[in-house]
Amino acid sequence: MKIVTGVIGNDIHVVANRLMDLSLNARGYEVFNLGVNTYLEEFFDAAVETGADVLLISSLNGEAEGWSREVKPLKSTYKSLDKLIMMIGGNLTVGSGNAEDIVPRYKKYGFDLVCHQVDLNTGLDMLEDYIKEHRAA
Amino acid sequence: MSSNPDKLLIDIGSTYFKISTENTIEQHFRDFNKRILDDLTHKCGATVNRFDAKDVHICSSANGGLSTLIIGLTQSYSLKYATNIAYNAGINIIDSIVFQNIETYSVPSDLIDVVIVVGGIDSNGGVFDERLDNYLAKCQYSNVVFVGNTQDASTLKPRIQKLTVLPNIIDDRLHIVENHLKDYLTNLYQQDIEGKEDIKHLYDITDNQIYSTPYVVNKSLPLIQGSFSVTDPFILLDIGGATTDVHYSKDLVSDNIVTEQGHDRMVFKKLGVYKSRQSLIFTAEQNEFSYELLMHLKVNESIYQENSERATKILMQLAIFLVLCKMSHYRPAYVTLKLLSMNSIVFTGGITQVLTSDDIEDVVAFFYRKILNSDHKPATVLDGNYDIWTLGAKEHAACR
Ligand code: B12
Repeated sequence: MKIVTGVIGNDIHVVANRLMDLSLNARGYEVFNLGVNTYLEEFFDAAVETGADVLLISSLNGEAEGWSREVKPLKSTYKSLDKLIMMIGGNLTVGSGNAEDIVPRYKKYGFDLVCHQVDLNTGLDMLEDYIKEHRAA
Repeated sequence: MSSNPDKLLIDIGSTYFKISTENTIEQHFRDFNKRILDDLTHKCGATVNRFDAKDVHICSSANGGLSTLIIGLTQSYSLKYATNIAYNAGINIIDSIVFQNIETYSVPSDLIDVVIVVGGIDSNGGVFDERLDNYLAKCQYSNVVFVGNTQDASTLKPRIQKLTVLPNIIDDRLHIVENHLKDYLTNLYQQDIEGKEDIKHLYDITDNQIYSTPYVVNKSLPLIQGSFSVTDPFILLDIGGATTDVHYSKDLVSDNIVTEQGHDRMVFKKLGVYKSRQSLIFTAEQNEFSYELLMHLKVNESIYQENSERATKILMQLAIFLVLCKMSHYRPAYVTLKLLSMNSIVFTGGITQVLTSDDIEDVVAFFYRKILNSDHKPATVLDGNYDIWTLGAKEHAACR
């Protein structure tokens, strides 16, 4: 399974990204890590070039919401990304915020899986469950 | 600076040619009614005859270089990587096509020297379907090269006539792999220069291979800091008769392209002051700040119609401004340079014969004020004596 990951926008918080890379590899994914400071278009372009199954975006510094509003309009210009599983995690709002409000909002922006301040491994378990369900369906 | 004591260096451009010996450098406007060799011997025969064919080194950008059309999967990877490689090989890009929308692009009417097709890492195949074949069938081109994923390489080979297949320029970690495509394009450019009727005659006076000028200039970039008061990061602007060439330090781009060389090149076709004067004016008319710049220079748009030294000067100043715009966030080209971190701008080419340091600094300051809202002032260095070219040519001649 191919997974493209990175930290969106002008965000330089790199620690979680490194851990993400290690965990994904350990779980047997083929990882394409675009690192910090990655723009939305680069994420989608990387998914096209690699033929990725999952796009996993991190955001830590509070930029997530602004970018997420661009997800649907931009993704709709691509013709080969309909099956791409979209996941986002990290600090998805400025300040603390609560997941009950945040998760549905981000689903509307076009994400299948939303992990606001969720620990990495919990999040990756969610992804595995999601993939299993979808394979079965 | 002196050039090699026993060598004659010649550069043939689209508008000028120049020749350099140990103590002299001469530049002449070309006479387009004459063959290059005749023009050269007419104007500099005595000098040329003094040298043995083995000591004459020639480079040329006279035919404007090869043209390429790039078809790729995405802007951020395949197209960007191929663009980078093509520019560094001295090739001009006439268009780039995002494959998924290929049916919406018009077919270029001109003969294309080489079409580059690229996309996908090796484990991602089946991305180029018959829409590629259909499009290529409508194009006129001399060469076509595939530098994308290996799976499509094998299915495309029997489908597309004369298809050259080279290793993928995108590796399994989405990084760029330059060498194979760069060598292929450099050789193609080389063959093109040698095949040009007009250039062929130049082999009467040299025993050495004739190289492309961008190739030679590129050789000199690492040496510039030792010879000029230039501090990195810098850009080198060569505003010519037909195109404008920009060589820039890698430090000026924050980018996903990680390569070994310290400098990259990009070209703005049709931004020159002689052969592409009309398109330069057109570009100026599309830029809302040009009018202000003209006012600042105390002229108005009627200058476009004028045929005078003053008009040439103004057009060159405009060209500097437009090129800086195109490299900034204001009019993004394929890369955006961090112009606020730039320490020096080196100017070379015909422009140094027409503009003074003051003329240039005036426009550069105008650009920084208007477009970047900044008082930043990179040092401007004029290569009025073609030292950069001599440096590159010399270096190259010495290597041979
Ligand atoms: C270290 C740090 C920095 C360093 C970063 C160094 C570096 N290159 O990495 C520096 C000093 C440069 C920095 C700068 C800034 N920072 Co800071 N920084 C932190 C800090 C203290 C720790 C981050 C860290 O590395 N944690 C360790 C890693 C392992 O944890 P993590 O990042 O939280 O990630 C975990 C989870 O979120 C999750 N996760 C992450 N992504 C994903 C994705 C998925 C799908 C899933 C499931 C899970 C997941 O996995 C990780 C492990 O469980 C946090 C505060 C904190 N204690 O969290 C602030 C913090 C992230 N920074 C913050 C801010 C505001 C900034 C600045 C804007 C400050 C400023 N005004 O200049 C700048 C922004 C710079 C930029 N352009 O991005 C805020 C963000 C606030 C928000 N989102 O509302 C925080 C939360 C501090 C705060 N409480 O205000 N910062």
